[in-house]
Amino acid sequence: MPDSGTMNSLAQRGVSRRDFLKFCTLMAATLALPSSLVPKIAEALEKKLKPAAIWLEFSDCAGDTESMLRATKPTIAEIVLDILSLDYHETIMAPSGKAAEKSKKDTMEKNKGKYIAIVEGAIPMKDGGIYCTIGGETALDIARRVCGNALVTLAVGSCAAWGGIASAAPNPTGSVGVKEAVPGATVVNIPGCPVNVENVTATIVHFLTFGSIPSLDEHLRPLFGYGKRIHDNCERRKHFDAGQFVRNWGDEGARLGWCLYEVGCKGPAAYYNCPTIRWNGGTSWPVQAGHPCFACAANNNWDAMGPIYSRLPNVPGAGYQVTADRIGLGLAAAAGAGVAVHAVIREIKSRSSQKKVKNNDRPEERRGKDA
Amino acid sequence: MIARKKGEGRMPKIAIDPITRIEGHLRIEAQVEGGKVTDAWSSGTMWRGIEIIVRNRDPREVWALTSRI
Repeated sequence: MPDSGTMNSLAQRGVSRRDFLKFCTLMAATLALPSSLVPKIAEALEKKLKPAAIWLEFSDCAGDTESMLRATKPTIAEIVLDILSLDYHETIMAPSGKAAEKSKKDTMEKNKGKYIAIVEGAIPMKDGGIYCTIGGETALDIARRVCGNALVTLAVGSCAAWGGIASAAPNPTGSVGVKEAVPGATVVNIPGCPVNVENVTATIVHFLTFGSIPSLDEHLRPLFGYGKRIHDNCERRKHFDAGQFVRNWGDEGARLGWCLYEVGCKGPAAYYNCPTIRWNGGTSWPVQAGHPCFACAANNNWDAMGPIYSRLPNVPGAGYQVTADRIGLGLAAAAGAGVAVHAVIREIKSRSSQKKVKNNDRPEERRGKDA
Repeated sequence: MIARKKGEGRMPKIAIDPITRIEGHLRIEAQVEGGKVTDAWSSGTMWRGIEIIVRNRDPREVWALTSRI
């Protein structure tokens, strides 16, 4: 029965036991866990451990915050705010100025090495980091202190993961992601523009349920969210295979929901669970709505994957079947290598055991800018 | 939070940074004399240079960048 603290406080906000269990089931599905583990997730969340969390915003647009706050019912925000003690978040916290900075300092001191840092936005490195300051301190200094003393840092959104839009050419502020700015921090990258909050929540739920962060790939992304190619889970895939393409906006193919590859879809090179978890409570996602994927979660997508409405570079225009096979084979081999590498470093248990394994077999994931 | 001081003594400049519950990074400084704000300055404390980033890009994709300001 819902006697626990978590259930009581959720009930006060109109979240029923049924909603709560639905949420636990959704989390199990997102994490690709068997449904037999749903009770274990529910039990862990009901313990109300409430780890302290500090949400930092740097060079961002607050899109990831919006993504969290506008989630569906039972709002993921409600559950996140209940399973975490979100002690600092500029967009939603009451105190301002020195009082705000004091909350951050107190949380860090009280929970040193035990709190979760959540970072949204890139960290500008150029000119001493002056392009983003909060309370007179640069984003870089804040990140070093807050992420350096955290149990784990969740880099949410593509900006925090790898610089994102702020680092798009010519990267005027020398922006980078958290891991590059603070190499010593234990980082989980949860990219996306914006991040899909279900992936953030699932990572936190995994942590609360099993006491560890989920398995990561060589780019420090949870495998449950970034292990599969969009193209392979796309509902328009059958049209790609049949050579049925949208060639112009508003043409017959567009009306019939054909493949968007010709008009720029980057799905064949993008790794994300967007087609399966979707947005707005699983209602839709960009390709379903008729827009090509622009690989928002990929490293350096604005340059390496751009322009948005041009067909994927280096792919021959004729013989789609052959091309599809070639793309499929190459990427499947790369994914296989990633999994094998990953099996060795299954979980990051301590800061010292963390390793970043380079895998150059995925050219689309390489940072094309400076190369 | 503005500290109040009795009397007409000139107060030092007050700075509130960060301003919370807004989208973006904002710093407000105010000069207070005799309990009244006599001058104030506001600064956006984050800049990414989206104006520079959109130069020479395919115009059709610029909406995707500027909508992320």
